[in-house]
Amino acid sequence: MSSLVVANVRKTWSGAKGLSVEAIRDASLQVSSGEFVAILGPSGCGKSTLLELCAGLEPISGGFISIDGQEVRGPNPKAVMVFQEHSLFPWLDVEANVGFGLKMRNTGTNERWRRVREVLERVKLVKFARHYPHQLSGGMKQRVAIARALVGNPEFMLMDEPFAALDFQTRVLMQQFLLEVWAGFRSTILFVTHQIDEAILLADRVVVMSAAPGRVLEEVRIALPRPRSMIDPDFNGYRVRLTSHMEREVMRAAEVL
Amino acid sequence: MARALAAALLPWVVLVGLWELAAWRGWMTTTLFPPPSSFIKFAIDSDFRVGFGKEGMTIPAAILASAFRVVAGLFLGFIAAVATGILVSMSRIASASLLPIVRGLAPIAPIAWIPVGIIAFGIGNPTAIFVVFTAVFFLLTLSTVAAVQSVDARLIKTARTFGASRPQVWAWVIFPAVLPQVFTMLRINFFAAWMAVLAAEMVGLKNGVGMIVILGREMFNPNLIMLGICIIGVTGYAVDALLLLVQRKVLWWKPE
Repeated sequence: MSSLVVANVRKTWSGAKGLSVEAIRDASLQVSSGEFVAILGPSGCGKSTLLELCAGLEPISGGFISIDGQEVRGPNPKAVMVFQEHSLFPWLDVEANVGFGLKMRNTGTNERWRRVREVLERVKLVKFARHYPHQLSGGMKQRVAIARALVGNPEFMLMDEPFAALDFQTRVLMQQFLLEVWAGFRSTILFVTHQIDEAILLADRVVVMSAAPGRVLEEVRIALPRPRSMIDPDFNGYRVRLTSHMEREVMRAAEVL
Repeated sequence: MARALAAALLPWVVLVGLWELAAWRGWMTTTLFPPPSSFIKFAIDSDFRVGFGKEGMTIPAAILASAFRVVAGLFLGFIAAVATGILVSMSRIASASLLPIVRGLAPIAPIAWIPVGIIAFGIGNPTAIFVVFTAVFFLLTLSTVAAVQSVDARLIKTARTFGASRPQVWAWVIFPAVLPQVFTMLRINFFAAWMAVLAAEMVGLKNGVGMIVILGREMFNPNLIMLGICIIGVTGYAVDALLLLVQRKVLWWKPE
C-alpha cells in the first residue's frame, strides 16, 4: 500500500522588498493507493501550490510531505504532475512527448519506444503518434499529457485543473476518459479543480480548501455508485453542501483582496 | 502558389514596363538611367563578366561570394549568440558581468567594424563574415536572453516533474523553446547584415556584388551601376527567402 501524507504543511512565498505571501497554512491530507481525491477551492487558494509541493517542484516552508514513508525532497517518479493545457512540448511529436520522461531518466531507446507504444495503444492515440501538438484538439492534447504521465507508471498522478481550459463537451468526454484510465491503470489521482460538479463526478473524496492562506476545511466522501450522473438527486445533495462551502470561501477571498 | 507568385511579380512587371516606356519616349536620360533592356543586354554582351585584370570577375561568382559571406556570418552569429545568451542566462555572475558589455556593443553600426575587420583579418572573406557576425551577434545575444526569460514556466515544471535535471531542462526545454524566437530576430536583422556586407565589399574587399556598383562608378558606366543594384536586390531577396524557408521547415514551432 502506498500513500501520500501531507502533514501540517506551510508554504510562504517570499517576494520583493521582504514582503512575503502565505499561500498555505497548516494543510493536512492523506491519500492512499487507488483513491481518487479532488481538492476543491476558490481560485488563488493555494491548491495548485499544494500539488507542486507534493510533486517536489517547490520546497515546503514547514510541515512534512511523504510518499510511502519517504520524505519528498524533489521531483519523484512516483508522483508526477499533469498541468492545464499547453504543457506539451510544441517541438516534439506525440511519441516524443510521451517518451520525454523516460528519456530524461535514461531509459534505453528500445525499451522507451516499447513502453510509449503500449501506452499510446491503451489510450487510443497510436494513430496520432507522429502528430505535433498544434495539429491536435484541446482534448487530444490533454490525452497526450495524461499518457505522458502514465508511461512512467507513477503511483500518484497530481492533476492541476487539467480540463479547465476545455469546452463543456470535451470536458465531459475527458472526465469519462480519466475515469477509464484511473480504473485501467490503477493509479492514484489527486485532482485539483474549482468546479464543484467535476469534483463530485470524479472523486471518491473531496477535500475543500479555504481561501488564502489555504487550509483544509472539510473532507466529504462521495458515496455515489459509478457511473455517476449529474442529474441524480443524491448528486444534488453533495452539490448543495459543497456549494455553500465554496460560496463562503469565495466571499472571504473577495474580502481579503 | 502560382497565383501568389504572379501577384508578387505583377507590380514589378508594371514598374519595369513604365521604366522602359519612359526610356523609349525619352522622358528620362537613358545614358544616366538605363532601363533593364539596356543593362541586361550589357551583361549578356560582356559575357557576364565585369571589371578588368585583377578586379575582373564573373557575375555568378560575385553573387556566390556575397551570398556565402552573408549566410556564413549569419550562421556563425546565430550559433554563437544562442550559445552565449544561454550560457549568460545560466549564471547570474556571467549575466551581470557580460550583459552590460553586450548592451554597449550592440548599438555600434556593423559598418563601423569594417576597418577593425580589415586590420584583424586582412582583405578577404573572414573580414566580410566578421562584419556580418557583428551585425547580428550582439542583438541576437540580447534577444536570446529575453527569450530565455519568456519560456513558459509550465514547460519547465513539466520537464522537472518528469525527472529532468537542471542541465537537461536547459538542453531539452529552454534551448529548443528559444530557437524560433531568436531566428525571427535574425531574419529581421538580415537586411542590416546584408548592407554591411555590401559596404565591406565596396570599401575594402574589391569583389562580390557590392563591388559591381563601385566598378560602375569608377568606369562611369551607368549600365553597370543599375545592373549591380538589381543584382543586390535579387540576391538579398533570395537569401531572405532561404531564411524564411528555414524558419518554416526547421524552426516552425511557436509557444502555444
